[in-house]
Amino acid sequence: MVSPNKNPTLALIDELLAEQSRLQTPVARFAATHFDTHHSTLSSQLIPLSKPKPGEQYAFEVDLDSCTGCKACVSACHALNGLDENESWRDVGLVSGGTRSAPYQQTITTACHHCADPGCLNGCPVLAYEKDPVTGIVRHLDDQCIGCQYCVLKCPYDVPKYNERLGIVRKCDMCQQRLGVGEAPACVQACPTQAISIVTVTTYVDGQLKPDTSHFLPGAPDASITRPVTRYLTERPAPANALAADNSMLRPQPAHWPLAIMLTLLPLAVGAQLGALSVSNNLKYADNATGDLTLFGVVAGALGLAASVVHLGKPLRAWRIFLGWRKSWLSREAMIFGGWFGLAALAVIRREALPLAAATGIIGLFCSVMIYVDTHRRLWRFAQTAPRFLGSALILGAALVFAFRFETKVSVIVLGALTAVKLMCDLRLLRPLEWVEEETPVTQENYAARLLTGPLRTLFGLRIAAALFTAIILPFLVTAGKLPPVASWFVFGSVLLGELVERHLFFRAVDAPKMPGTSQ
Amino acid sequence: MSALDDLLHARTGPMTSELVLHPGQFGLGRVPARLAPAGTAKSICGFCSTGCSLNIHLNAAGEAINLTPNREYPVNLGMACPKGWEALTPLAASDRVTTPLLRDANGVLQPVDWARALTVFCERMKGVQSKYGKAAVAALSTGQIVTEEMALLGALTKFGMGIADLDSNTRQCMATSHVAYKQSFGFDAPPFTYADFEESDVLVFVGANPCIAHPIMWQRVMRNQRNPAIIVIDPRRTETAMAATLHLPAYPKSDLTLLYGIARELLARDALDHAFIEQNTTGFTAFREFVQDFAPERVLSETGLSRADYMRTIDLIARPGARVSYWWTMGVNQSHQATRTAQALINLALMTGQFGRPGTGANSITGQCNAMGSRLFGNASSLLGGYDFANAAHRTHVAGILGVEESLIPTQPSRAYDRILDSVDTGEIRALWIIATNTAHSWINQGKFSQLRDKLDFLVVQDMYATTETAQQADLVLPAAGWGEKDGFFINSERRLGAARKVARAPGVALSDFAIFKLVAEAWGCGAMFEQWSSPAAAFQILKKLSSGQPCDFSGIRDHDHIELSGGIQWPFSEADATKSGTPVIERRLFADGKFFTPDQRARFHFDAPVPLPEPPDEAYPLLLNTGRGSSAQWHTGSRTNKSAVLLKLSPNQPWIELNPTDASKCRVEAGQRVTVRSRRGETTAIVVVTPIVQPGQVFMPMHFAEVNVLTFPAYDPHSRQPAYKACAVQVVP
Repeated sequence: MVSPNKNPTLALIDELLAEQSRLQTPVARFAATHFDTHHSTLSSQLIPLSKPKPGEQYAFEVDLDSCTGCKACVSACHALNGLDENESWRDVGLVSGGTRSAPYQQTITTACHHCADPGCLNGCPVLAYEKDPVTGIVRHLDDQCIGCQYCVLKCPYDVPKYNERLGIVRKCDMCQQRLGVGEAPACVQACPTQAISIVTVTTYVDGQLKPDTSHFLPGAPDASITRPVTRYLTERPAPANALAADNSMLRPQPAHWPLAIMLTLLPLAVGAQLGALSVSNNLKYADNATGDLTLFGVVAGALGLAASVVHLGKPLRAWRIFLGWRKSWLSREAMIFGGWFGLAALAVIRREALPLAAATGIIGLFCSVMIYVDTHRRLWRFAQTAPRFLGSALILGAALVFAFRFETKVSVIVLGALTAVKLMCDLRLLRPLEWVEEETPVTQENYAARLLTGPLRTLFGLRIAAALFTAIILPFLVTAGKLPPVASWFVFGSVLLGELVERHLFFRAVDAPKMPGTSQ
Repeated sequence: MSALDDLLHARTGPMTSELVLHPGQFGLGRVPARLAPAGTAKSICGFCSTGCSLNIHLNAAGEAINLTPNREYPVNLGMACPKGWEALTPLAASDRVTTPLLRDANGVLQPVDWARALTVFCERMKGVQSKYGKAAVAALSTGQIVTEEMALLGALTKFGMGIADLDSNTRQCMATSHVAYKQSFGFDAPPFTYADFEESDVLVFVGANPCIAHPIMWQRVMRNQRNPAIIVIDPRRTETAMAATLHLPAYPKSDLTLLYGIARELLARDALDHAFIEQNTTGFTAFREFVQDFAPERVLSETGLSRADYMRTIDLIARPGARVSYWWTMGVNQSHQATRTAQALINLALMTGQFGRPGTGANSITGQCNAMGSRLFGNASSLLGGYDFANAAHRTHVAGILGVEESLIPTQPSRAYDRILDSVDTGEIRALWIIATNTAHSWINQGKFSQLRDKLDFLVVQDMYATTETAQQADLVLPAAGWGEKDGFFINSERRLGAARKVARAPGVALSDFAIFKLVAEAWGCGAMFEQWSSPAAAFQILKKLSSGQPCDFSGIRDHDHIELSGGIQWPFSEADATKSGTPVIERRLFADGKFFTPDQRARFHFDAPVPLPEPPDEAYPLLLNTGRGSSAQWHTGSRTNKSAVLLKLSPNQPWIELNPTDASKCRVEAGQRVTVRSRRGETTAIVVVTPIVQPGQVFMPMHFAEVNVLTFPAYDPHSRQPAYKACAVQVVP
C-alpha cells in the first residue's frame, strides 16, 4: 500500500517490486485457460506399432536427408529426461567434403546404437548393463554401476558418459519408459523434420547373431566390433573425401591418474616378486634379499590396489566385481589380483608361496593387458600393451634389485636392455608419421603419433630422454663407481617416475573412437 | 533365488529413481517424475521471430520448472529449436544482475538501491540535457522486449524526456525489410503466413539459412506435400543449400544483379501476370526498360553462376501456374544495397502476380522475437502504431489517444543507429541509455564503439546481465527482468501477435523493463503523462487504439488471454473483423484483393543500378569475409545462450573461420590451426575450418563471438541505414 507521506517514487518502487515477485499459481491459470488433452498422433507414426518378434529388436533409424542440424533432439533429450545441466544422451556430428562444384556437408544425429553385441555390456565387471530380451534396448542399471568407466573405453561410439555428481555413467535407454506406453522417445518427438524414428530390425538369423549393419554410417568406427543396429538412410552418399568436421582436433584423453598409478605399482609389485625369485638362489644374500623384495612387493601391491579403488566412482558397490567374470577382463583382473594379494602376503611369511604368487601376478598383469586390448583401440593393441605392462614389471624389478644392490651387474644389464626395448615400443608409435604428408587426415593409425608429437610432445620428449638417462646411463655410471652407491635409489625412483609418465601417456595419447564430428 | 538376484543386481534405488518418468498430465506426455508439473502456462519464445509457443511446466507456486513446445499452436506444432527448449536456463544464470550498479570513484560498479539509481539517472541525464540541449541524450533499444515495453520506452523518451534520437538493434537486422515494404507496399506489411511454406511449388530462399536460423520454419517447408522445388541463393553451401533442389552460390552481394537478370528473362519469356501488373502496380514500364541491361552474359560473369543453373532457375520460376514464394533474411538485409535487393525480390513477385494466393509472396523472415513489434511501436522511425512523425494529422491523432501534449511529439523520425554513434563521436550526443542490447559486441566495426565510450559523459545499460561487453562499460546498470519474468506480447514474422507470460521471479530487485520505464517516468517528473500505462495489460489497450484504422489494426483483440486462446492472432484483426467473424482465421495472408497500402492502392517498383562492393578484396586483403549465424544453439552475442551448458555443447566455444581448401593452402594454414584474421580495422584470431562449403576467395566467421565485428567494414544501406556485416576484405595469416 502506498503510505500517504512517502515520496511517490519510493512508493512506486515498493509497489513495482511487490508486483514483480507475484506469480500466478497454476490453480489460477487453470481457471483462466484450457488445455487440450488429445494426444498428438505424431508419436505413433514414428514408432513401431508392435513389440519386436523373437530375433528382432528396436533400433533408431535416421533419415540423414532430413537431418539439417537444428539439434533440437539434443536439447529435448536433456529436458524431457531431466538430465543434469550439461548432460544429453544425443549428439549431432558434422561431416564435410566434396569439391568446388559439389561441396558437401551433412549433420548426423547420433545416440546409443543399442548394439547387437554391446561393448559396454560385455566389458562391465558388475553386469550393470542389460540387453532387454524383447526390445533389445541396452539399459544401464544406475544403482548397480560402480563408476569404473570401463564401458566408456569399450564403447566405440563414445556413448556412456561419466557423471561426476553421481559417480556413475549414464546413457540413452531409448526412452524405454515412453516406448512402453506407446510414446515416442524424446528425440523422436522433438525432431521438427521427423528425421529420427524407431524401427524393428532383425538381429538373429537361424539362431545366429547376424545383425545387418550395412546401413550403419559410413566413416563411423568399425561396426563389426559391437554390431550397432542404428540405420542411417540417405539418397546423397558422402563423397570419398568427406571428413569429420573435428578430424583435425587432437584431443588428449583423460589421464585416469589412479589407473596410471595402479598400472605402475602392480607391475612394480610383481617385478619385486620376480626380483625376489631371481635372487633367492644366491646363497650370499638370499634370505635378506628375498625377504626385503617380497615385502616391498606386498606394500607396492597394496598401494596399487588402493589406487584402483580410488578410481571408482562408487567403491562401496565394488564387492560385486566378480559378477562379470564370464566376459569382462576387468572382472577377471580384479579377482586375480585379489587372490594374488593374499598369496603375496602369505609369501612374506612362507617363502614357498612366492613362486605361485609371482605366477599369479603375471596372470593378473596379462588380464590388465587384455582389458585394454579388448577396447580395440589402436594404441592399446596387444603388441603395444603387453610389452609395456610386462616390461614395466621386469624393469622395475631390475631397478629394485639394483637399488638394494643385490645383483648389481645383472640388474643393470636387464634394466638397460629392457628400457631400450620399451623405448623402441614408444618410438614405433611414431612410425605412421613417416609417410604422412601435410594435410593427411588424422586416422586411428596416426592418432597417437600426432598427439605425442603435438599437444603431448613435451612430456613425451622428457619421457624418452629421462628413460635413456636414468635407466641406461646413470646405472652404468654407478656400477662403474663414478657415483656413490646411494645413487642407485635415485635410479630406482627416477625409473619408477619414468614408468608412471609412460603409463600416463598410455592413457593420454590413445585414439578414442567416436561418431564423426561430434566434438566442438 | 530372487532375493540373491536382487542383492546382486540393484535394478532399483535412488539413482534409478532419478530418471523415472511419470505421466505429465495437462496434455503432456511423460515427464521426469521429479519435475512433474502442477500446471502449465503458454508463452511465446523470446529468442527469434518464428514465435513458437512453449508450454511452461509450473510447480504449485507457479514457478517454471521445465518446458515442452506447445503441440496445439499453429506456428510450431509441438516443436522448438534448442534455444526454445533451453529458454528457462538463462534466467537462472549466476551472473544475473540483481541490483542497480553504479560506478564509484575507483571505477568499480557498486550495488546501489533503486532510489539512488533513479536519482543518479535523472540528475546525470538532465545535467547533460541542460548543458548540451535535450538532444544530447539518446537511447538504443532492442527487438527482444515485449511490445508494451517498447511503446512505453518510445513514449517516455520522446514525449517525456524530450529525446530526439531513439533507435534499436532492429536496425541491425530488419530495417531493410521495413523500408523495402514501406516503399513498395505503402506500409511495413510482410504479406505471408507460415502455411505458405507448405503451399508453395517453388520456394526461393535468398541469404537465408532456415535449417539452423529458423528450424521451425524449415519444419513447415518439410511439411510441404507439393514436391516443391527449393532454390537457395547463398554464397555458402549452407545446411539449407544442401537440402535444396538447386543451390546458386552467387558471388557475395551479386544477388541484386542476379535478381534483375531473372526479371529480364521472365520478361523475355513473357512469363508475366499482365493483369496484376496493370491493375495493382505502378512503375513497371521503367523497370522493364531498366532490366534490359542485365543480359545473361553480364549476370553470369558477375555472379559466377553456371548458365545451366541460371536457366534452370528461370525455368522453375516461370513454370505456368506454379505458386512461387520468395524468402529472404540477413543475407539480403545486411548489405550496402539491401533495400533494393529486397525490392528486387518484391518486384519479381509483383511482375508475376505472386501475391495473395497460398504459397506465394515476397516474404521477409524476421530476426528477433519482437522486431515486428519494434517496427510498429518502437516510436523510432515511425510514430507509435506505424504513423508518420512528419504528418501533423498523425501527430494530432496519436496525441489524442495518449493524452499527451501534441507539441511534445517530434516532427521528424529519430536518426539511425550509425548516425547516433556518429553524433557521439562529434560530441553532439553526450549520454546514452542502452536497453537489452549489446552494442559493444554487435555493432559493426566494433573497435569504434570503445573509443566512443570515452566521449560519453554518462552511459546507462539496462540488461539482465552486468557481464555483457556493453554493461561492463556502463556508468550505471539497471537490473532488468528477462523473458519469462514479465507479461506482454510479441509480433512474429507472419504478423502474429503472441503472448509472453510471467512464469518466474526476477532475481534480487531486478524489475521488468516496463516497471523500470514507469519508475524513470516517475523520477523524471513526467509520471502523470503515463498514468494510463498502469500495467502491460493496460498498455495493450492503448496499443489497440493506436493500431485502429491502420493496416496493422488489431483492435478486435480483447486482451492477452484472447491472443493465447486463439493460438495467436495475425494482424489485421479489427473491431469490425471481430464483430463480423468472432474468432480469427488461423492462417491469413495479405493482398488477396491486390490492393496495397499506398494512397492509390498500387504497389511500386523500386530499383537502382547495382553498386560495387564497398571494400572488395585486393592484393593486401585477398579474402572476402562473410559473417552470419554459426549454429542453431547460438543467439546473437550469446549473452543468454552462453548461459546454457547444453547449448554450449552444440557449437564451438571459440571463434572459427571457414576457408576453402585452396585458400587454406594459399595461406599456408591447416585445419584446427589458430590463425590471425586481419582487416583494415583490426585483427583477431580464430580456429581454421577447411571446407569446400565456402567458395575460393571467400571466408566465413560466425557472428556470435565478440572478435568478429573488430573486422567488419562500416558500410550501410543508404535507405535503411542497416549495416553491411557480410562483406569486407581480410587476410588470414598463420
